This record gives sequence, structure tokens and C-alpha cells, in this order.
Amino acid sequence: MFKKRINYKVPRNLLVLFELLALFLIFAHDKDNFNRNTLILGMALISIIYISSFILLRISTGDNYIFLIVTMLISIGIIMIYRIDPELGMKQIIWTGIGILLFFISYFIIKSIKGWKNWTLLYGGASIALFLITFIFGSRIKGSLNWIIIGKFSFQPTEIIKILLIFLLASYYANYEKYKKVKYGSYCLIGTLYLFIAFLFVQKDLGTVILFYFVFSAIQFIYEENRRLILYNTLFFLISGLIGYFMFSHVRVRFETWLNPWIYIDNKGYQITQSLFAIAAGGFFGTGIGLGYPDFIPEVHTDFIFSAICEEMGIFTGIGLIMLFLILVYRGFKIALSQDEKFFKIVALGISILFGIQSFIIFGGVLKMIPLTGITIPFVSYGGSSMLASFIALGILQVASEDLNLEEIEHE
Amino acid sequence: MNKELRRILIVLTGICTLFVSLIVYISYFQIFKAEAVKNNSYNKRLWIDEEKILRGSIIDRNGKILAYSEKVDDAYKRFYNYGNLYSHVIGYSYREYGKSGLELKYNNTLLNIDETTPFHELKNIVKPNTEGNTLKLTIDHHLQEYSRGLLQGKRGSIVSMNPRTGEIYSMVSLPDFNLSNLREDWNDIMEDEGKPFLNRATSGLYTPGSTFKVLTAIGILEDLDPNSRYECTGSITIDGYPIKDYKGRAHGSVDLREALVKSCNTYFAGKGIELGKGKLGEIANNFMINKKIPFDLPTAKSTFPYKENLGKTDIAAASIGQGKVLVTPLNMALIASGIANKGEILQPILVKEAISPDGEIVRINEAKKISDGIDIFTANEIKNMMVEVVERGTGTNGKIQNIRVAGKTGTAENPSGKSHAWFIGFAPADDPKIAVAVILEEDGSTGGRTAAPIARNIMIEALNTIE
Repeated sequence: MFKKRINYKVPRNLLVLFELLALFLIFAHDKDNFNRNTLILGMALISIIYISSFILLRISTGDNYIFLIVTMLISIGIIMIYRIDPELGMKQIIWTGIGILLFFISYFIIKSIKGWKNWTLLYGGASIALFLITFIFGSRIKGSLNWIIIGKFSFQPTEIIKILLIFLLASYYANYEKYKKVKYGSYCLIGTLYLFIAFLFVQKDLGTVILFYFVFSAIQFIYEENRRLILYNTLFFLISGLIGYFMFSHVRVRFETWLNPWIYIDNKGYQITQSLFAIAAGGFFGTGIGLGYPDFIPEVHTDFIFSAICEEMGIFTGIGLIMLFLILVYRGFKIALSQDEKFFKIVALGISILFGIQSFIIFGGVLKMIPLTGITIPFVSYGGSSMLASFIALGILQVASEDLNLEEIEHE
Repeated sequence: MNKELRRILIVLTGICTLFVSLIVYISYFQIFKAEAVKNNSYNKRLWIDEEKILRGSIIDRNGKILAYSEKVDDAYKRFYNYGNLYSHVIGYSYREYGKSGLELKYNNTLLNIDETTPFHELKNIVKPNTEGNTLKLTIDHHLQEYSRGLLQGKRGSIVSMNPRTGEIYSMVSLPDFNLSNLREDWNDIMEDEGKPFLNRATSGLYTPGSTFKVLTAIGILEDLDPNSRYECTGSITIDGYPIKDYKGRAHGSVDLREALVKSCNTYFAGKGIELGKGKLGEIANNFMINKKIPFDLPTAKSTFPYKENLGKTDIAAASIGQGKVLVTPLNMALIASGIANKGEILQPILVKEAISPDGEIVRINEAKKISDGIDIFTANEIKNMMVEVVERGTGTNGKIQNIRVAGKTGTAENPSGKSHAWFIGFAPADDPKIAVAVILEEDGSTGGRTAAPIARNIMIEALNTIE
């Protein structure tokens, strides 16, 4: 037993090794400002992650890799955020702690309550309510009207709505036989989605617009029996995209700076070109932690964390990060495929697609492969709302990875 | 396989494709695009990296230090030993104003950051390089100083080079500016009407005047009878426009040799029309006119737009180097070199080699033919005529005792009203060691009177001091 615990072949232990080395690098780089609290927090984080994955193994019969993949992502993210700004790094560590707690809480809540698949209208209603609250009480931070500030805390309701959207889709298609008989059932669903997208568009949160659209379209592609609707959906999206392009300058700016940012290098192309400079500077192996200049990029700790990682850890780490998401998505799909309970099957698909598309949008954006839309990398970028929501989603995915039908039979 | 499973797999494949395309794109970017992106002058990292590296020195062909860097108060500072002398060759490297000249072109070599193989990157992490390479030029500092001295107080340019190797010995362009006082002088330099920033040697475009007759003469040697005689009356009328000889003097009965020696405009104007614009253009092209000259510094393209719809008057004017022909002094030096080098044109070179901090020498430029020019027989014939130009014609001021000099003068009319004085030539004619092009901009005098003596002095100095 003990021997197994220190065995290097156990991924959990490899992760600890990685974290210890990274922590050492951070201290080596920042040795002048050595801070005992940082060390304690760092060690605390490592232990929390270690113990959590250990506990998870005991309590969950499901997939035990997704949590490990996520903690690896978090480790890379925290190292980079701490290196950019130690204060934010400390906060991120705390967010991670709360996130892991929420992961377990949501795991237990989702698992203990039955009937999730019956509350379609609730999910839709709650989402719309959250949007309305954002409009009434919301504040504009960095150009997007999608923050609610309560006291010292601010959070983005859209992060919660993402999960509600997936639940809405899952409960709709899990009860497809029933809703199919309702006249224009699927049209109502599309209508609701476009209402969400309209809300997001007004908030100028283009990244989330794309994200919602792709999550919805993928689920619709798999489960909608009225195939013509998929065509309508695609056409409608393209047309409204075109209209958006010609009517709204902030949409046009994204395209212009994507096609040729260099001529706007002094103003609207500044961020993306700085990002490209950083990635180019890093080369294959990176400059080394603390030896690059990622802070030349505005917003580097959130949207542009990937460029910072590429600069200081090289594109090999960047590719590693992309592959971690690839594995996460793959595990998610595997979970969905082996889940017999339809609601959780769709939820697992939705969450996997969410993680996949969200990370793709921002990876591709900062690389200038696709137009840049501000969005966070789940688990990697700095940000409380994003971190917590992603952990809740992960908790749900963990539930979905278990054999739920079997359990019900046992209980009965 | 049921429908649901199949569709799920399609979606999974789609997402996987997106991720794989990300990996392909980032690798493509890193391998093919990163280098250019990194060197964008807006990249602040360039300066930060540079400030950590001791920028390499620049030395002349004999090892004389022309520019170097040294640590002053924790930061490297660039020093230029000869303020004005190398303003256009070496150029400057200032954070505020950017870079120019060789400082720009060989920036990576001077900083020793040009290799970006993964191995080199690894080595850089372990042992970051702190010292750049030294650049060894083909310039001979003494001749450079001497050349500039001869041009002092005038506007114009001098290019002298080794016709057998293409190595530039001296390259002067006046007015110039002081590399060391750039911060203080910047605004004055920008406003100066003499355009001190313009490197006249490589980018100044001038009417070549009679020096261009060398090319027309080559055409006559190749296509027409050089021995047929022509009666020069001092003026010829083409399509109603008169073309006159210098001061309207008649040269009497001339063949090609006599016409070149006396620089007879009417003869060449008439023969030029006989040759046609196609032939003239072909020869011009062979001597790098209308072509980009590959060089260590940016070059302007000399032009002779022979493909345009040229009338007889235009062709006649072009035959004597007037009208639409525009050339750079470097191009004229190449023409002289080409004739000296048995008709073959070599690439002009300014940087010989780079010397690494460990003393390892990397050759930067090799002698390389860039144009076939003309055949050796024609080259020999035109050379003999040019020798006579200096011995008894318009270029007698270029004569050197005991050494045969080949040359051609030019007095180029231009819109300013004051003619440019030109001289191109090389010496010794039978074993050429130095070729030179001199232009005095808007000098108002003839090439024979003012440009030829300068060229002569440079050739004497070069023959006496180099190697």
C-alpha cells in the first residue's frame, strides 16, 4: 500500500512532482521576494489537490482521470498567473480551493437529488432571470456588460447560464418524445437559444455567443430528428452574423484585426500583435519562467494566458495544454458514450463540448488562427467565476461518469 | 452502429480536428512565421534582449575599429569612432530612431541571435550569449577618409571598388551627418534640404550624361560598323529637336573611337536611333540598369524605360545619357568594374566576414557573378577606347603617370540648370585593381574638369596603399 503511494507510475504522484518542480522554479525566479505565506499556500494547494484526488478515488466509482487532467491544467495556470502577478496567483490558489470544494458539493447535490431531467422550464426561466438581473444590476467591466457586483465580489452570471443551458438542452432532448408532440417544440428551443444569444450580443460578449451557438448546434445535430431545423439554424446564424458584421463596429473590428492586425498595431491590433510577439519569442522551449516579457500583453492573466505560457514555457507546453484539453474532451465523450441515463449522457456531451469549444475559441484567437473573442480558458485563466463554474461543471461530469441506472436498481 | 452513436462520434471527430489544427497551426507559426514576427520593430523584446548583449564591433578590411559598444553605467552604449565618415555605410542604432545601414541589415549578426534552431535555443537557455559578432567590412578606412576629403564641401558621391572581387573600398555620399550626435541633430537633419539621410551612392538617381555613351558604344561595337565615319557639324536635328555638342563645337569626321574620345553627342544620338531602343535596353539591362542590384545596403533601381513608347528624340537623348535615363553611382561603378573585369559583372559587397566572440570566422559574401555583361572581346575594345579618352580626350585630367587609366567623363544636363559632373574609370587598364565612379551633383562644371581629377587621386591612393 505504502509502496504504491510513492510509486512514480501513479499519475497523482507525477502531478505532485510537476507541481513541486514548478514551485521551486517560481521561488528560484522570485527569490528576492521570498514569502513564507506563498510557500504555505503553495504547499497547501498541492496537498489539497493530492488529497482530493485521493478522496475522489474512494467516493466515486466513476472516471478518475478528468479530475487529474483538470488539476494539471490548474497547476500550469497558477504557475503562470503567479509569475505575472504574485497577488493574483495567491487569489487564484484560493479560488482553486473554493472550486474544489464546490466540485464536491455539486457532485453530492447532483447525485442525491433525482428528477433533474424534468425541470426544463425551470432552467430556461432561471437563465432568462439571470440575464435580466445582469441588465438591471450589471456593471460594465472591460467593455462587456456581464458582471454583477455584490459588495467586494463580482461575478459573471453567464458562467452559471452556461451550465443551465446544458441542463436545458439535456432535459429537452431527454424528454424529446414528450416535447416532440408539443407544437413547434423544437422551434421554442431554438427561439430560447437565440434569445440568449441576443442578450449576450447586447452585452458585447461575442466569445460566449459563439460558445453557446456551438454547444447548442452540436447537441441539436446529435439529437434533433427534424433535420431541417439544423439547416435553418445554420442559415439563420450565418445571416445574423453577416448583419452583425455590417451593423456593429465591434464585430467588424474583430475581423479586421484578424485579417491584418499589423496595420492597426498602434491601436486596435495592439493586443493580438503583442500576443504574437510573445508566442514568437518563446520558440519551442520558451524563454524560461520569469525570463520573458508576457506582461507586455494587456489582459495577459485572463484571455491571453496562453500566449504567456507559450512565451515562457515554449509552444511544447502550449501544445501540451491543447492536448490536455483534447484528452479531457475525449474522456468526457467516453463518459457520455458509456452513460445509459439519457439526461446525464447529454449533460456529459454538453460539458465536454463546452470545455472543448471554449478552449479552442481562445487558443485559436490568441494565435490569430480565428478572430479573437475575449473568453477565458477553463481552469487556466485567472478568474473566480470562470473557475467556480468550471468546477461545478466538472462535478456534474463526475456524476455523469458513474453508473447511475445500476444504482437506482440497487436502491429500489 | 446506431444514429446517435454515429453522430456523437462525428462531433467528437470535429472537436479533435479543431484541436489538431491548433497544433498544426502553432507549429507552422513557430517554424515559418515567428522569425519575421519577432523582428518586427514594434516588438519591445528586441530592445530588451539587445540591451543584454554586447553588440559586435564593426571593423574595416585592415581591422581598424569603426564602431563598437561598451558598458556605461550598467547599459551598453554604441560608439561611432568616425562621426560623419560612415553615416550611410554603417548607419546608426538608436532606440528612439531605430536602425539604418549595416546596423540594420546585420542586426542579428551583430547581436549573434540569427540562429534559431531548437538546439541553439536550448544552448541559449543554458548559456545565454552575451556578446555579438564582429563585422569585417571590405571598406578601406584610409581610402574612405581620403575619398570623403576630396568631396568635402560638395554634394555628390564616390564609389570605389575592386573590379575583380566586387569588394567596395570606399563609398561616400555628401551631405552626410554625424552618427554620434544623432540625438542633438535629428531635427536639423530631417529638415535639411540637402537630404543628408539619403545614401546617394546607392539610392541617388542621377542623369548619367556622357558616361552612358560607353553602353551605346558597346551597342555600336556589337551591331553596327564602328569604323564607318560620320561628319559632325556640332548639331543634329531629330524630329525637329536639335541636339548639340558641348558648346556647339563641330568634331569633324569621326568614327566610334574618335566619337567616344571627344564625347561627340551628335554621333551617338544618330547611332542610338540606328541601334533602336531594344538594343540599348538590352545592354542597359546587362549592366544592371532596370534591375535590383543585390547589395548589403538598400539600393534604388537605375532606370531606362526602353519598353515605353519612346520617340526618336527620346532614344537619341538616351543614347547620350540624357532624357529618361537615371542611374545610381553604385550602378555606374559596376559598369566600370564590369568592363574592367572582362565584361562580367560581380555583386558589389560591403561586408566580408563575421567574426564570432571565440574568433571563429564566417564568410558573409563571396565573389559572385550577377550578370554576364558583355563578351571579353567587346570589353577589351571598349576598354582600349576608354584608355584613349583619358590619354587624349575629355578625360585627360584622369591621367596617371606610368599607369594606363581607362575612363569616361560625363556632364549631365538636369532640371536644376547646373550640370552634374561625372567620371567613371578603372586602373591599371591592363590589370585592373581599382574601379571608381565619381559624381558631383549640380556642380555646373564638366566631368573632365572636376570629377576626373578626384577619380584620379582616388585611383593613385588606392594603388599605392591597398594590399
